[in-house]
Amino acid sequence: MFLRLVADSFSRRPRHKLLTGAALALGMAVATAALSVSLDVGDRLAREFRSLGANLLVTPQADSLPLEIGGVDYRPVNAGAYLPDADLSKLKTIFWHNNIIAFSPVLEVRVTSWTPQYSPASATFVKPAANGDSVLIGAWSNHSVTLPDGRDFLTGLDETNPWWRVDGSWFQDGAGECIVGKAFADRNAVIIGSPLYLATSSSDGLSLRVTGIFTGDGSDDNAVVTSLSIVQQCVGRPGQYRKLYVSALTKPEDDFARRDPATMKPDELERWSCSPYVSSIAYSIKQVLPGSDVRVIRRVAEGEGAILTRVRTLLWLVTFASLLAAALAVGASSAASVIERRTEIGLMKALGAGSGTVGFLLAAEQLLLALVGGAVGYSLGIWLARLVGQRIFGVAPEFSFLVLAVIIGLAAIVTMLGSAIPLRRASRYEPAPILRGE
Amino acid sequence: MPDRKMFWRIIRRLLSANRGRLFVILLALGAGATITSALLNLQVDAKRRLTTEFRVFGANVMVAPRESGRGVEIETLDEAVFKKIPQVAAGRRVPSVAFLYLIANASSYHSKKAVPAVVAGNAGYGITDILPGNYVEISSSMPHGEPNCILGVKVAAELDVHVNDRLFLEDTGRKEACHVAMIGGYGGPEDNQIFINLDIAQRLAGLPGRISLIQVSVAGTPAEIEGYITELKGDLPDVDVRPIRQFTEGEAKIYNRISGILSATVGLVLLLTALCVMAAMTNVAMERRNDVGLMKAIGGATRRVLRLFLAEAAILGLTGGVLGGAVGILLSMWLGKAVFGVAARPRLIVYPVAVALTIIVAIAGAFPLRRLASIRPAAVFRGEA
Repeated sequence: MFLRLVADSFSRRPRHKLLTGAALALGMAVATAALSVSLDVGDRLAREFRSLGANLLVTPQADSLPLEIGGVDYRPVNAGAYLPDADLSKLKTIFWHNNIIAFSPVLEVRVTSWTPQYSPASATFVKPAANGDSVLIGAWSNHSVTLPDGRDFLTGLDETNPWWRVDGSWFQDGAGECIVGKAFADRNAVIIGSPLYLATSSSDGLSLRVTGIFTGDGSDDNAVVTSLSIVQQCVGRPGQYRKLYVSALTKPEDDFARRDPATMKPDELERWSCSPYVSSIAYSIKQVLPGSDVRVIRRVAEGEGAILTRVRTLLWLVTFASLLAAALAVGASSAASVIERRTEIGLMKALGAGSGTVGFLLAAEQLLLALVGGAVGYSLGIWLARLVGQRIFGVAPEFSFLVLAVIIGLAAIVTMLGSAIPLRRASRYEPAPILRGE
Repeated sequence: MPDRKMFWRIIRRLLSANRGRLFVILLALGAGATITSALLNLQVDAKRRLTTEFRVFGANVMVAPRESGRGVEIETLDEAVFKKIPQVAAGRRVPSVAFLYLIANASSYHSKKAVPAVVAGNAGYGITDILPGNYVEISSSMPHGEPNCILGVKVAAELDVHVNDRLFLEDTGRKEACHVAMIGGYGGPEDNQIFINLDIAQRLAGLPGRISLIQVSVAGTPAEIEGYITELKGDLPDVDVRPIRQFTEGEAKIYNRISGILSATVGLVLLLTALCVMAAMTNVAMERRNDVGLMKAIGGATRRVLRLFLAEAAILGLTGGVLGGAVGILLSMWLGKAVFGVAARPRLIVYPVAVALTIIVAIAGAFPLRRLASIRPAAVFRGEA
């Protein structure tokens, strides 16, 4: 009988039920979309911030003071310390290896460049007018690192310096190719395909082929970039590098993160090293690269932390507002649907139904509606979230059971709350006046 | 005009007849208006605030000597160029600092021998905005008479100096001394540099009135920053003005993402709020069917009856909008404080927009009454409709 009453109520006024259900579904759709977008947005934005490039800089601990002006190191070639690049695969063995998204070792040397004067095909090299030093940067591009567990990890300068715009293509690792900065190219009339002859003060020259022209930060636009192994050979430092840029996904730093790990109690140290703070990642990198000094590139890391925290708070606020709005919408429509049925309630009570039975019947109806509306709303919301995520980040948010649970729970609670007040009033109705239409 | 007087009288009666109902409608409309104006205001403010927030990345525009073909040899600019950089853009002060770099031998009382280090002479407004860092040591006393300098962590460690120590600088016979006021970690080449006043660096280098480059930190949307650079290029045709692309490009990308996601969510919430309020209004309006029936029975023309109820809805919308909109703006100011630490500035345009939206939604919600115009009074009284 109970089920029949419920079924009857749905079939008798399908249009009305459809409207209430639609309001519910719409509210839940918006709540789902907002919730899944803001759950996902932290990770997405953290990744987006990596377009600022590396946030950690590794240098040899025993290094002499670099004399670097405008990206050029004025120290003599043999001054200073180096680090071995054989250790680099260990970077992907630290606790936070999944957070290390790119790294590239760098070895720089000042060189004098000769460029062909007439045509790219011509083999006559011309010494530039001034003893035109330029900087030869040895780095990786799309370099494959074999990790201790046998897998390969592709990384390089193209990922640690994502703002570099290269016309042409990046050099191939170890293939005698190079890319040159825009200022260098303009000054020396170098085009893609040109051969280039470079000589350092201490070693014989080497000839490279230009595969691309890059625009970087300005200070490096005067440089020639080629693969690390070529520069290592040229400097006579095989297997060594001087600077390492690491780009890592991090958690915004809070007061706890800024404390010195040396002063922490064991449990605090554990909590600290189990959070991907930029400082704890720096600490674990230092442990796998002996003799290194790992510094946080403050301008990148701190800015990122500050902005991420604010944006996340902001989005949670908006999400909360959308949940509130959804709750209001659903509550209002279920309240309305109960009020409209006063006559029916009166009739039921006149026929001898107790307040409890009436309430139970209406609640069951509302819950059924909440379930159907919530499910439809959830799928609609997921679609909306994918649309928003796809348009803004190019990637749809990941599926989360949390959202599903929250939405179903919210739909049920809100419909119940929305109908609870009118239901209580309905249970106090005297059947007679209602049936009289008063 | 008695007709109009009657009209308003009926409206007054309609509104005051049922206090509870009036309260519920105003609550729904007011809540809608609050959410609308709070989110609109917060969204407008947050986007602007974000552009300021991005300045924690430091300088994003650099002015340097034009490449003259002499390679990376140190070239300098006339200091007069620095004076031509506009100090204010879009009503905000623009931090800009001129630098002169040189290599000098640095020594302190502790160090046995002098260590060559890069000295960065600087002058201008907002060095901490240009070079965001983490000061590990700060001197509390600032002695008179001797200029202060800031040391990068690496150079401080190399020289074994701390704050309040004296530092001696020497370049081809010219000597200067300074008092170490702060030691800062920057995580870049700045860690190896000694920051002193520009005029001291110029004396030390023997380059009076010369600077190496200027760094500027311009706040604004990506388009505004580009506009500033173009303008600066026009003002300074002889030098090289370029964006620091690591930050301008990264910022532009992140800004577009964040403002996109914000607009999308706010848009969704506003749509939902409108639908919610409209649904509530429709429900309330439908309860009026008995009144419509009665009015028609005693000779009210359909248009007039409809006008009456639409006017009622508009008044409710206006009241709800005016109250809710004001509450919403206050709420957004408070929320702005919670998120950005600075109260959101109320945008005056948001208020009328929120009120207008509420009125439109209220009238749209009452519009289904139009359907009631076709009902026959008798049917209503029999309780059929």
